[in-house]
Amino acid sequence: MTPALAVHDLRLLIGGAAVVDGVGFAVAPGEVMALVGESGCGKSLTAHAIMRLLPDAVRQDRGYVALDGDNLSVLSERQMRLVRGRRMSMIFQEPQAALDPLSTVGAQVAEGTGSPLRQARAAVLAMLDEVGIADPARRIDQYPFELSGGMCQRVMIASALIARPAVLIADEPTTALDVTIQAQILDLLRRLAIERGTAIVLITHDMGVVADIADRVAVMYAGRIAETGDTAAIFARPRHPYTALLLAALPRRTDVPRSRLAVIEGRVPAPSEFPTGCRFAGRCPLADARCRAETPLLREVARGHLSACWHAEAVR
Amino acid sequence: MSGAPALRVTDLAVHYPARNGPPVRAVDGISFALEAHETLGLVGESGCGKSTVARAIVGLQTVTHGSVMVDGTEIVGAGRAALRAARAGMQMVFQDPVTSLNPRMTVGAAVGEPLLVRGLARGAALRERVALLLTECGLRPEDAARYPHQFSGGQRQRIVIARALALRPALLVCDEPVSALDVSVRAQILNLLVDLQRAHGMACLFVSHDLAVVRHVCDRVAVMYLGHLAELAPRDALFSAPRHPYTRALLAAVPEPDPVAQRAKPRVPLVGEIPSPARMPSGCRFHTRCPMAQPVCRETEPAWREVGASMVACHFPNE
Amino acid sequence: MRPRVSFGIRVIVLLIVLFAAAALLAPWISPHDPLRQSLLLRLKPPGSATASAGLFPLGTDDLGRDLLSRILYGARASFIVAILSVSVSLVVGTLLGLAAGWFRGWTATLIMRFVDAMLSVPAILLAVLTVAVIGPSFVTLVLVLGLTRWPRYTRVAYAATLQVAGLPFIAAAEMAGADSARILLRHILPNIAGPLLVVATSEFGLMILFEAGLSFLGLGIQPPAPSWGSIMSAGRQYVERAWWLTVFPGLGLFTLVVCVNVMGDWLRDRLDPRSAGR
Repeated sequence: MTPALAVHDLRLLIGGAAVVDGVGFAVAPGEVMALVGESGCGKSLTAHAIMRLLPDAVRQDRGYVALDGDNLSVLSERQMRLVRGRRMSMIFQEPQAALDPLSTVGAQVAEGTGSPLRQARAAVLAMLDEVGIADPARRIDQYPFELSGGMCQRVMIASALIARPAVLIADEPTTALDVTIQAQILDLLRRLAIERGTAIVLITHDMGVVADIADRVAVMYAGRIAETGDTAAIFARPRHPYTALLLAALPRRTDVPRSRLAVIEGRVPAPSEFPTGCRFAGRCPLADARCRAETPLLREVARGHLSACWHAEAVR
Repeated sequence: MSGAPALRVTDLAVHYPARNGPPVRAVDGISFALEAHETLGLVGESGCGKSTVARAIVGLQTVTHGSVMVDGTEIVGAGRAALRAARAGMQMVFQDPVTSLNPRMTVGAAVGEPLLVRGLARGAALRERVALLLTECGLRPEDAARYPHQFSGGQRQRIVIARALALRPALLVCDEPVSALDVSVRAQILNLLVDLQRAHGMACLFVSHDLAVVRHVCDRVAVMYLGHLAELAPRDALFSAPRHPYTRALLAAVPEPDPVAQRAKPRVPLVGEIPSPARMPSGCRFHTRCPMAQPVCRETEPAWREVGASMVACHFPNE
Repeated sequence: MRPRVSFGIRVIVLLIVLFAAAALLAPWISPHDPLRQSLLLRLKPPGSATASAGLFPLGTDDLGRDLLSRILYGARASFIVAILSVSVSLVVGTLLGLAAGWFRGWTATLIMRFVDAMLSVPAILLAVLTVAVIGPSFVTLVLVLGLTRWPRYTRVAYAATLQVAGLPFIAAAEMAGADSARILLRHILPNIAGPLLVVATSEFGLMILFEAGLSFLGLGIQPPAPSWGSIMSAGRQYVERAWWLTVFPGLGLFTLVVCVNVMGDWLRDRLDPRSAGR
């Protein structure tokens, strides 16, 4: 089966530094794929590259994105505009900032249909209802400032999905929201993936969110995928030291309170200081001379579970 | 000072005048006490008033009524001099490590400022104290000569903590101290806070929206909703047997970083949005979203009462 | 990312430095005494030379004084007046703005309403009236310019202070026990200096223009002391016969003010990251 979205060997440069390097993954219809990592790992740039919405300072020099088998890199900017919002949509972290403050909820959701609100009103109302907005007949004529953050995120999801795109890119969609609202939005995204068969790429830094909603996950570090596989497998037995440490650094309900949390020594190297070999080597307890000299490529360490670590088998 | 609590907050209220209509009751009648050496978590969602409580305690927020006693000194209504003296015994760590430090001041000047302006140390003695504080917080003495922008977020939070510890306060108020940090850095700062509290034994008010973090560092936990306390309980009681339906919903909503446990969790999604404090619901503030609300909840505000080891404000607490 | 210092800006800075150097060194580099008159040498065109008096590179004026020397000394007057009056207004305006932003309440209301009132009166008109009443002199000129132009600084300082005062590091300084004076001088002032510097730069250009304007009207630097304004004013009568008397000081004024303004724009872009991408 053709995946809904496939990213092949993506490389993004800022100046001379490869801030995203060799990132590739595929998402099937109805699947939720999480890109997870700390700030600066390149997850958000990857999302923007998929949409071809990169800032001017970022250059893509390798790789391509295929949407339902169609290579998007051959499209002109004009053709790409037709892809965005219709076949592939994106939602953002700050829903209030991403919505046009001078335009009503209805008008913004209707934009995705390509027809004015007068004609699309019934479809818009149905969509607002589907994303769980109470009293859509009243909300449709309101402005974003009249809505709460959670409601704005629902509006953004509605406008992203009204044209029934096959792929939804969600860039930290719940980071700015409270946990009770986050739970509602995650439930909504999961339902949309199941009912509509939308393929979702979820960008997040929150391992809890990944555990809740993602079918598969790619853990990113310093612009590269460290490890990718089924969510359950990665949480049960991480095969990359970074993932293992990241999970151990989280306080959990089963921990002894005030016990020492695992820490990752040092800090993420700046793109200009990316080392040769494995980019995590400088902070990795397992690193040896080979890690510092040769870049480990992703390799299958268990069925469907890939790790970019020379010592994947030794990770506990 | 045995017996006397490090902090006693009584019927604290912070109201803001509204342009039209009644004042916004951001914090409304909150009481709790904090023993020496104890860490109390204050949790809740945005706009519940938890940060306002923190700012009121250290005298950075004008209070409408109520009392805040820190180590025997009344903070509410205290004059400049009294407040300045009281602040020698209480310090604050802020959420955003970027804006918590003056970008035009060296790290050494920032950490040493409390000692310098209070005339406690100067010259070589001050430099020595600063070097000790930096070392204690996991930085190098040489870092004193550098500027904040030369440090990462986690290191900046260490600087902020070093500054807060300079006066050896008996009470440390932490307002979302790790929320702006990445996971791996967050663990470092949490370890540091736990170590420092063990070493110095100060009382700590830990304001956070992150229940996992609060469970990790706190002895007791207070849950706020719309300017009120919903529940206050010892940590284990709160996490294993939450009494208030809001506490239960909050615990259920936090996604566990464990797919098996997380997906097996019963889903009790809280419906609706948090009401605006400008239009406070009648009766119990939580009744508009409560899955167990009865008519009485709409009419009567529940009393703050003891249930087992917990204090709870609910007509129908889980007993 | 900070913009690189472009070639254009280097040229602009070089020109400003040249003007400043000319002003500073006027007594040493002027070929003639700017006040020495000679009826025999009246209105000589640029490049004239006599065996007894030497070369007049930019010609002479109606009283036979060397124009280049007068322009160099005029630049000196412009710079001194501009520096002093900008300093006066910068200090007064910043202190009032800091006070308004920090103490807020009625202090702010009082100061900012006064600012509004000052800004609703044309500064040049106010200056003309004041000088006309108390009589022109160098000190009057500096004080009048300085004390009419402070409201812009107050507005900028007030807005910036309000913004900085809300940041946690100010709360931290209060927690540390710092008093208002320390907070204002050590914590707020260094963090609002950037925008004030931008205003000061653009005001510097304006002050040079104002000085020239007032001197042109006879209300600034008093003859026979040279000033670009008074040189042009005197040369006005001879525009057809002696174009150099108005063109050279005018060119100097124009070049200097353009340079200062471009420099101000560049500073603003450099100090304000928000406008960097625009």
